[in-house]
Amino acid sequence: MTAAGVIYERGDVLLRGDRIADVAASIDAPKGARVVDVAGKTITPGIIDTHSHIGVYAAPGFSAHSDGNEMTSPTTAHVRAQDAYWPQDPQIDHARAGGVTTMQILPGSANLIGGRSVTVKTYVGARGIDEARFVGAPEGLKMACGENPKRAYGDKGGPGTRMGNVAGFRGAFIKAQEYQRSLERYREKLARHEAKGDKSKGDKSDDDGKSDGPPDPPARDLAMETLAAVLRGEILVHNHCYRADEMLGMLALGREFGFAIRSFHHAVEAYKIAPELAKAGTAASVWADWWGFKAEAFDGIRENAAMLSVAGARAIIHSDSGIGIQHLNQEASKAMWAGRRAGLEVADDEALRWITANPAWALGVDDRVGTLEAGKQADLVVWDGDPFSVYSKAAQVFIEGELVYDRSDAARRPQTDFELGYDNGRTGAR
Amino acid sequence: MNTRMCWIAGAALALGLSVGPVATAAPAAPAASKPAKAPARAAKPARGATRAGRLPFDTEGAPIYLVGAEVRTGDGRRIAGAVIELRGTRIAAVGTLAATTIPAGAKTIDLTGKVITPGIVAVDSALGLVEIDAEGSTKDDSVAIADPIRAAYDASSAINADSALLPVNAIEGVTSAAVTPKGGLVSGQVAWIDLVHGDTRTIVADDEVAMRVNLGQTVAGSRAATWLRLQELFADAEFYRTHRAAYDRAQSRDLSAHRLDLEALAPYVAGQAPLVIGADRITDLRLLVALAKGGAKVVALGGTQAWRIADELAAAKIPVVVQPSQNLPESMDEMGARLDNAALLAAAGVEVGIAVFGDAHNPRNVTQEAGLAISYGLDPELALAAITAVPARAYGMDAHYGTIAPGKVANLVVWDGDPFELSQRPRAVWIRGRAIPMRSRQTELRDRYLPRIRGER
Repeated sequence: MTAAGVIYERGDVLLRGDRIADVAASIDAPKGARVVDVAGKTITPGIIDTHSHIGVYAAPGFSAHSDGNEMTSPTTAHVRAQDAYWPQDPQIDHARAGGVTTMQILPGSANLIGGRSVTVKTYVGARGIDEARFVGAPEGLKMACGENPKRAYGDKGGPGTRMGNVAGFRGAFIKAQEYQRSLERYREKLARHEAKGDKSKGDKSDDDGKSDGPPDPPARDLAMETLAAVLRGEILVHNHCYRADEMLGMLALGREFGFAIRSFHHAVEAYKIAPELAKAGTAASVWADWWGFKAEAFDGIRENAAMLSVAGARAIIHSDSGIGIQHLNQEASKAMWAGRRAGLEVADDEALRWITANPAWALGVDDRVGTLEAGKQADLVVWDGDPFSVYSKAAQVFIEGELVYDRSDAARRPQTDFELGYDNGRTGAR
Repeated sequence: MNTRMCWIAGAALALGLSVGPVATAAPAAPAASKPAKAPARAAKPARGATRAGRLPFDTEGAPIYLVGAEVRTGDGRRIAGAVIELRGTRIAAVGTLAATTIPAGAKTIDLTGKVITPGIVAVDSALGLVEIDAEGSTKDDSVAIADPIRAAYDASSAINADSALLPVNAIEGVTSAAVTPKGGLVSGQVAWIDLVHGDTRTIVADDEVAMRVNLGQTVAGSRAATWLRLQELFADAEFYRTHRAAYDRAQSRDLSAHRLDLEALAPYVAGQAPLVIGADRITDLRLLVALAKGGAKVVALGGTQAWRIADELAAAKIPVVVQPSQNLPESMDEMGARLDNAALLAAAGVEVGIAVFGDAHNPRNVTQEAGLAISYGLDPELALAAITAVPARAYGMDAHYGTIAPGKVANLVVWDGDPFELSQRPRAVWIRGRAIPMRSRQTELRDRYLPRIRGER
């Protein structure tokens, strides 16, 4: 199952090095190739989750492991999830055993602007973020609408309302625009200075005739660097936002400041504005069926993803959970079948895209992963049956051509350091 | 939306089940199923009036025959080409088509090719007590008091039959729920409901069916203190029961809890009704074994490490209710959490239940949980029992619920195929002998926005 529009009832995948070299109904194995017979099994791209806090809210849920919300100010654009990612979180092993090869690690949603995300792969044995990160993946910015920021800050100086939330976003981006302008002014001055220097070497006075050196750059501001990068389109916006009215408001806010929202997250009401999301080119990361735990989640329905798909929007099933991330194939299945029961046409390939190609796009890595196509990184899952069945499990997981998980081989069921020394009656994550 | 069911106080239960006068033995269970419970309750005559007629007894009216389906009874049997005869709120008979005579002109419903299972029981559920978790004004699942002893708290008086959560779960096959308060050391008492949406008068089928208890560091941040407090409490409940007259004359020693709490605890201390106890770590599970050895009826909820002492739990006849997907070490009490816990327990002879714990919104996903347990080795028939017969038995409600058998309440789910598979949702759901509307707030939201998706407006 390629997630690229083609499903081969019986097909071959040729891996070369860390890449997929070919996918076809039948490939003649090149000389010297190692042939792995997985007849009767199903191959899909590696599963990709746009929304995880693994590593920043590690298991066990110790207070010492609570590193996801820098809850000291409602706007903390200066912090980065990569600085808190704990590569020994046992949840990583379980995600990998569930077929997940790529996941975006986000700051939490207590803050309006929670900080930068980092996209990682579920490599084995990473000791630090540089051994875990998805090389070349753009960073994301976590933003959060609605109840969480006002609940977190209502008694701590605000925001205490949705009015305050939006004013907080706008205030931050007005500052970012000013910062961006100051950067541009500096660059212009620098360019002029350098041009002058080229013309008359030795004349070091600038326009004012006061200074003879190059212009001073603006003071570095980590928060403003983040938001300015958003305005330039270099950092992708991931916006926790449940309600349809708030999503429409955030799309308008993006237009006001000239940035795109790459994906809404937890978008339980996305189905109400699916055509608008399709038009805006904004993806919606949704759960299959979580709902009702707070007022803004009360209108969740299982058909959400299918309705987005049919309306031409990019639907994504995300987890936000160390349990859910292990079964994203099942979550997609529930959402797919709910759509079909409602009379919506959702092909298997399309539902598979909810957990592969579409999240790859949302994370800005769709040119490298997310489908089984020649040239893509060889991240793939061999399932022991139909990936949409409750009974199917990931039998093998490959990242960049390397077997990182094998359910049938204890030596290929990696475990992080944390669980060593405790009796879990088994060897490795299952 | 009251139904055509009638509630006949004091009526003898048909189908050969004997029953005491409702005013004193409210659940009207067959005497054998809860032999000692009635006397304990008879000591509380004041409650009799409110309890009258709680369970649906009606077996009147014309029979309805569900014909041709494969019936999975919930206790391991499959009957191909079955006939289920319904009368009123109850199942009158179950058999094969060949062995059944259907009277001419009787109402029959052809379900050839379908599968019928018992209605699913949501264990440890907040259905009817919680509408929106984050909104305290919509919640009645706990008592906001510091005292960890809330034994007298009775969930049945707070249940909201109009909750929009009921149909969302009912149309996916959840027909009954053990509605359970949470918090403290002793959270309060469990009520048994059928998911009859809008039936504000009769939604509660039985109250005070079980007592919810939490072990772990519930009292003073200490496991040992928690256990000590529980022992003190049980001793005081027994003392209160046997010295009540002296207590009323103020000639009693000091007791460690309110008299209402001590009174409520009596049948549970005496082993007449189950203590349902949240426990994950072996340390705590062994305390459950101790309670069971002391004569209490005990049910374990959670049971993360139960697989490690499965033999002990089996020997103590403690049913263990698990949530199979919960395989992460979320705390140090849950080290060794594993997806095949249910299968390992069943292999050791433990009666295994499956639940979505503490939830009101998605108890419906218990079929997926059971499917996961199957994929990790649990026998499919045991998986079905784990969400039907086992919960009914564990909560002492098996005279009325949990299997498809004569005399049971007619809670039935009709499927196209495998109830655990993600592609499957019920075709029809019968609760108390009636097919419910397959409609919920969620289907209404869906149908409101579908035309826009299809470009029709």
